[in-house]
Amino acid sequence: MINYIVLSLTLMAIGIYGLLTRSSLLKVLVSIELVATAASMNFVLLASATDRALGEAFLILAFSTDTCVTGIALALLVVAAKRYGTSDIRKLAQIGIGEIVKEKKEDGQEDAVINA
Amino acid sequence: MIVEIIAVGLVVSAFLAVYLDEAVYSVASLAVTLALTAILYSLNDSSFAAVFQFFISTGTLAVLFLSGETLTEKQAGEKTLRKLSFGLAVGLVLSIPSLVISFPIPSIKSSVPPFPEVLWGLRGVDVVLQGLVMLTVALGIAIVLKDRRRSQID
Repeated sequence: MINYIVLSLTLMAIGIYGLLTRSSLLKVLVSIELVATAASMNFVLLASATDRALGEAFLILAFSTDTCVTGIALALLVVAAKRYGTSDIRKLAQIGIGEIVKEKKEDGQEDAVINA
Repeated sequence: MIVEIIAVGLVVSAFLAVYLDEAVYSVASLAVTLALTAILYSLNDSSFAAVFQFFISTGTLAVLFLSGETLTEKQAGEKTLRKLSFGLAVGLVLSIPSLVISFPIPSIKSSVPPFPEVLWGLRGVDVVLQGLVMLTVALGIAIVLKDRRRSQID
């Protein structure tokens, strides 16, 4: 007999490992899927063990939020890949910081022109 | 015995989904994970959950396959076979605790409402969540259209 709580904990640990170590946006999405699967597995298998239907019903509702997360992450992936040509979150962070610095410099120059 | 094999396969495929560099192999491993999860649900008499899991994961995986193949850059990593064997070994080691550790789950004695009744009782939450899904889809479309408009202006 396997222990479902330990099984879902293992899945969650693998998902968190992926979230912490992987830099590709797609891998991050896969890791989020694993964490969501681990959480919903607890609902279903504990509900099954205690003869309660509530967990199974909650799983079906949890799919809605899971779909929302996937949709947003995929939209971000599409935009990042089309606009910046990369799906690496570290590179995207560097690009984002670079753009903020550039905008600040432009704002500073505009302020200097106004003051003059 | 079959449940134990499924549990080991679940952990191994989940680890490979995170560990492998190639996006398509990673999504294929995730497909195995989600399929094994659906089988595990059906073996535990949760047929509704198994069917929902199967259909939702089919849609998710189709989109992930397409985006993984078209939008992500190919990574030049180690040899895939070597990584695969290492991932299999680590996955097997990670699956041992779920087979070895055991502690009893407390049984809750109470009147058990049937599944349709429970689901009907949660219809308010269901409506709110369906609305959330629609808003998210609208938000996703707005993000993509805004980006397209910006690129047209540039």
